[in-house]
Amino acid sequence: MLTEVHVPDDMATVLGLMASGAKVVAGGTSLMPWLNDHASPATELVSLRRAGLGTVQVSGTTARLGAAATLARVEHDPALGFLDPVARSIASVPVRNLATVGGNLFAPRPHGDLAVALIALGARVTVAGQTGTRELPVEEFLAAGAPAGLVTDVAFDIPAPGAFRYLKAARRRFNSASLVTVAATVTETAGAVTRIVVALGGVGPRPLRAGAVEAALLGGPLNAETVRAAAEAGLGEIAPADDAYASAWYRARVFPVHLRRALLGH
Amino acid sequence: MTVKIVNLKVNGVDKALMAEPGTTLLLALREHLGLMGAKRGCAQGACGSCTVLLDGNPVVSCLVPVATVDGAEVGTVEGLADGQKLSDVQQAFVDGFATQCGFCTPGMIMSAEALLDRNPDPTDDEIGEAISGNVCRCTGYEPIVSAIRDAAAARRRTSGGATATTGASANTTAGQEAQV
Repeated sequence: MLTEVHVPDDMATVLGLMASGAKVVAGGTSLMPWLNDHASPATELVSLRRAGLGTVQVSGTTARLGAAATLARVEHDPALGFLDPVARSIASVPVRNLATVGGNLFAPRPHGDLAVALIALGARVTVAGQTGTRELPVEEFLAAGAPAGLVTDVAFDIPAPGAFRYLKAARRRFNSASLVTVAATVTETAGAVTRIVVALGGVGPRPLRAGAVEAALLGGPLNAETVRAAAEAGLGEIAPADDAYASAWYRARVFPVHLRRALLGH
Repeated sequence: MTVKIVNLKVNGVDKALMAEPGTTLLLALREHLGLMGAKRGCAQGACGSCTVLLDGNPVVSCLVPVATVDGAEVGTVEGLADGQKLSDVQQAFVDGFATQCGFCTPGMIMSAEALLDRNPDPTDDEIGEAISGNVCRCTGYEPIVSAIRDAAAARRRTSGGATATTGASANTTAGQEAQV
């Protein structure tokens, strides 16, 4: 049962309460369903709602999203139009008005579609602790199992027009979990891929960076043949699971199709 | 356990309540303030029957610890009608038989009100997206989508905007179920 809900207006107090065992709640879309359904041990919450982490700043070509910025805030920011399809692919309107950027990094599989996009954007996450802050790539943060501390923001360079690709395959068009999510940033020069970052969701224990797919595509043209070969390579680095939305077999079977659609648009 | 005084402006009226730590916004509305419109369905944020407006935006109130929104403005279905005159969305739901058991209706209506506040002339696709977090197990969605479309037309007529098409439900997406 909840014994206390703290709503501090500064980060130092948040960190102090975390150190004394309080659980962090931002949008509440993951934690509150659990608390509503389970007889939890005595639990204190510390809310990020007033802690000053809800801002979105776009300065020049750099974007910095506060950990407590809602997905709706990202969705409606005119400077982040390329993220509109990402935000709108997640949950529903009344959930996106609560769910946060930082919270999405902790969403269990097959969720976490914003995190997939952030990996593809090369985003870095800032993690605060009582001894200071550190910044690390989102993919490293996730691969390390979300190390201790408080996520305060994520930052990335806004991609060149057309460089960012995103596709989420789901059972329904709106408000459905990922079967396969593909996000990528691609730079092509003179008909060859000169830089590529590919991230995948729904097909692993967490959002993944698809190094084998990138390696297969780097330096060559981007076409049906090369993407088919890259998907073949990618099958070795995904680890899909069965769940209520699809079987692992199905996810692996359709992964090449959705990789192609994400990268080539057809 | 600390009980806190929480202040809210609910449907334009200042309210105060004593909230235990586990009190959600939904519980506060229903059990402290006696507003029974928002419903407790799944308590997971998945069914949308508890949807209310929080500072103007629709949220699933079952997932909001009320202590975290002290000072907020909250809009519920009880605040829509002007005396006996229903809002355009409420009236369209009545006229279009868009309710059956009625359990989802307050949440549907609040999602629709929020949509029309932002977008006075939504497409069926946009309506489908707006109510994708509101589950109805009775009507099959088509009457709900039609009602929202009709409410949008009524609002535009009232506000003197674009010429509205009456009976719009008859000329679009007949026989198709909204993809929500």
